[in-house]
Amino acid sequence: MSRGELNISRWLEAHSDRSAGLNTFARNAILADVCGDGDFRLVLTDVRLEADKRSRLKVYKGTLLTSDQVLPDIPSSLISFYSDELEPRVPSIAVACGSDLLIYKNNKPFYKFCVPPSPITPLEEETWKRFGEPNCDFAQVMTDLKSVRFNQLSARSQELLTLPPEQVPEYITRFTGLTPLKTSPIVSMTTLNRFSEDKSAIACPVLGTESGIIYILDSQTFTILHQADVCNVRTTPAIIKTAGMFDVEYRIVIACRENSICVLRRGWLEGKSLIQMTEDIVDMVLVPGDNFIVVATASKFLHCYTKRGQRVWSAPVFSPVTCLCLVPLKHLSTHLIAVGLKGGSVHLYHGRQPVDYTNSPDSPSALVFGQLGQEEHVMVVITMAGTINFKILKRTADFNLSNQDKLAAPTLQTKPLPLPKRSKLFIEQSMRERQNPIEMHQSFQEDLVRLRLTAARALVHSLTDQSGAGNAQEEIKLSAQVLGLGPKFTLILTLENMNAEKPIYNFLVVFHAKPSVYKLSTYVVFVPLIPPSLSYKMETKVTEVLTNEGVPQPPQAIRVFVMRKEQANPVLAASINMPPTDMTGLLL
Amino acid sequence: MGLFSKFAFFLGVRKKEVNVLVVGLNNSGKSTVVNHFKNEEERVTEIVPTVGFSVEKFQNQNLAFTAFDMSGHGRYRDLWEHYYKDCHGIIFVVDSSDRLRLVVVKEELDLLLQHPDICNRKIPVLFFANKMDCKDALSSVKIAAGLGLDKIMDKPWHIAASNALTGEGLQEGVEWLTQQIRDVVLNKS
Repeated sequence: MSRGELNISRWLEAHSDRSAGLNTFARNAILADVCGDGDFRLVLTDVRLEADKRSRLKVYKGTLLTSDQVLPDIPSSLISFYSDELEPRVPSIAVACGSDLLIYKNNKPFYKFCVPPSPITPLEEETWKRFGEPNCDFAQVMTDLKSVRFNQLSARSQELLTLPPEQVPEYITRFTGLTPLKTSPIVSMTTLNRFSEDKSAIACPVLGTESGIIYILDSQTFTILHQADVCNVRTTPAIIKTAGMFDVEYRIVIACRENSICVLRRGWLEGKSLIQMTEDIVDMVLVPGDNFIVVATASKFLHCYTKRGQRVWSAPVFSPVTCLCLVPLKHLSTHLIAVGLKGGSVHLYHGRQPVDYTNSPDSPSALVFGQLGQEEHVMVVITMAGTINFKILKRTADFNLSNQDKLAAPTLQTKPLPLPKRSKLFIEQSMRERQNPIEMHQSFQEDLVRLRLTAARALVHSLTDQSGAGNAQEEIKLSAQVLGLGPKFTLILTLENMNAEKPIYNFLVVFHAKPSVYKLSTYVVFVPLIPPSLSYKMETKVTEVLTNEGVPQPPQAIRVFVMRKEQANPVLAASINMPPTDMTGLLL
Repeated sequence: MGLFSKFAFFLGVRKKEVNVLVVGLNNSGKSTVVNHFKNEEERVTEIVPTVGFSVEKFQNQNLAFTAFDMSGHGRYRDLWEHYYKDCHGIIFVVDSSDRLRLVVVKEELDLLLQHPDICNRKIPVLFFANKMDCKDALSSVKIAAGLGLDKIMDKPWHIAASNALTGEGLQEGVEWLTQQIRDVVLNKS
């Protein structure tokens, strides 16, 4: 038993602030060494959806709020990455607000990257040109605009079409002469290491936009290194995860709002749909090492897929999942998955096995695990009600993973069977089989039919022939014992009624011996009633007929038949091999 | 102890050697505390995170201390318990500005006090509420309450607020420890 097991929880409750009032969603909280002093801080976005309130970017040092900045728009995602190798290493914090990526360094605004606008349809461009012409009939031109699909229009045209008619002229005159831009907001983000797997290596931001385009940016110049579509059909990337390195080989796994999971690899201009789910995807994590994709669905299930999209396992959870978080445990060289459940609990899964759970004040909305301050294993739980909760994993916690490995037998199925090497004999046989398969098959079938026939014959024979020391149908058993050295023997027969319920009666035993060899005291014995599971013993004297010279004859068998009265067929037959007469005994 | 050696001990000719264990979480200032006890000429200017442990020797009131300065990093904390058996005193350094990890300090302290090599011995434990100069530092009283020191009945303990960079509070603490160890060692002999 480990020391960690003695205590109830493997988690230490470090701090909990119910009055924090945070409104933070998954993938909007990170742990980063913001100041480059080795003291990791918690960075999160506090989202305010009300029109009159502003969202904020907050930094916690330990449990204390140290920085609070106003964001220009509603943030969708938050990442941190190292953009250079200058000492001290200070990571950049990037917040996606609308179609802008705001980069902060040392808690100060540093750079703003805008997603390039996508081209608008020619008809829309034409429409806006015509709006600028004098004496334009707005209503007439707007019907042209309506012929374009709504989602292909720019935000300006979309708003125009939803305005009440009396506001239309004023709205149009405000923008006359300006061609509308169609921008797409950033909906999801992650980072991709550039050329090293190291934790503090240079990484590229990876952005996914509403229109289904993935951008990989250079972290220093903020130029687009690579641009690709999520899939051949229009999908919106909701969650992006990466594995590998940009300069070597990478794999971007994208969970889409349309419940498909797509994969994008180095050099591809378009992602490939890997899995199409029937249920809504709540959250997704990529387990490093074996590159398993773990997906939580709205139907209270966790699914695990390989990187090729084959399902490895599915595990039901008892409550709807709100968020997932990867828990890397370097000292145990394993990865757990923290699953935030509605109602306020966090379960930890090792593969498909739940290994631990811990409570949170209410349903967690964001989970983050990593180094905070000086402590390496901190889990920060931000709940729907705005509570922030810090938990520290105990040093002694080992989650009994060594025992768990034994239970996780299905993983063995992925291993190939330990087949022996192909012998020469095997190869020769397989060659022969390939050369004349028809003949071999026919001869095999013939032998098989013969075997079956022999078996059937033997069965019929044993059913009709009632010889043998026992009769299963009548449930009687006969055993014989020969006493004496000769020429006089005593033959003791024991007839046993094996039936536990019925007595046997009306039986007789008939001895059959060659009169020239053996003389018997009785040849027919009437068997009295034998009660159930009892036996009856009968004794017969046998005298061997000696030849005139006093020389014993070669021994012969005495046959015994157990008969039912007035029936010709014996119930049981046996032959008793008589021993040869011992002449030495005779001489004495 | 023979009469002569006892006499020599009081005269300060022969010094009694004692082992103290310096423990605490990483970045709490253990090596800095130990560094301050050393002679001026032996001190190092730059303190780096200890790997494993380091052995330092210093003297206080004719008592020769051998300090086992243990690494406080999570992966080296398993080493602490191997030195519990031979130590005469424990110096437990706490970073009083690290509120988040006070629970971890308590957890480690509980593990230490429950260890079979410690729990049945009357070992003096000296706590340094270090980094008292930090502006968000907790007071020594708050740390004593947070760690539940009032529940330690069977061992003499003392908490001293300290600043290992300037040496403030260290001398007071180590004098208490010296007195305690002297009592225990003399009572034994």
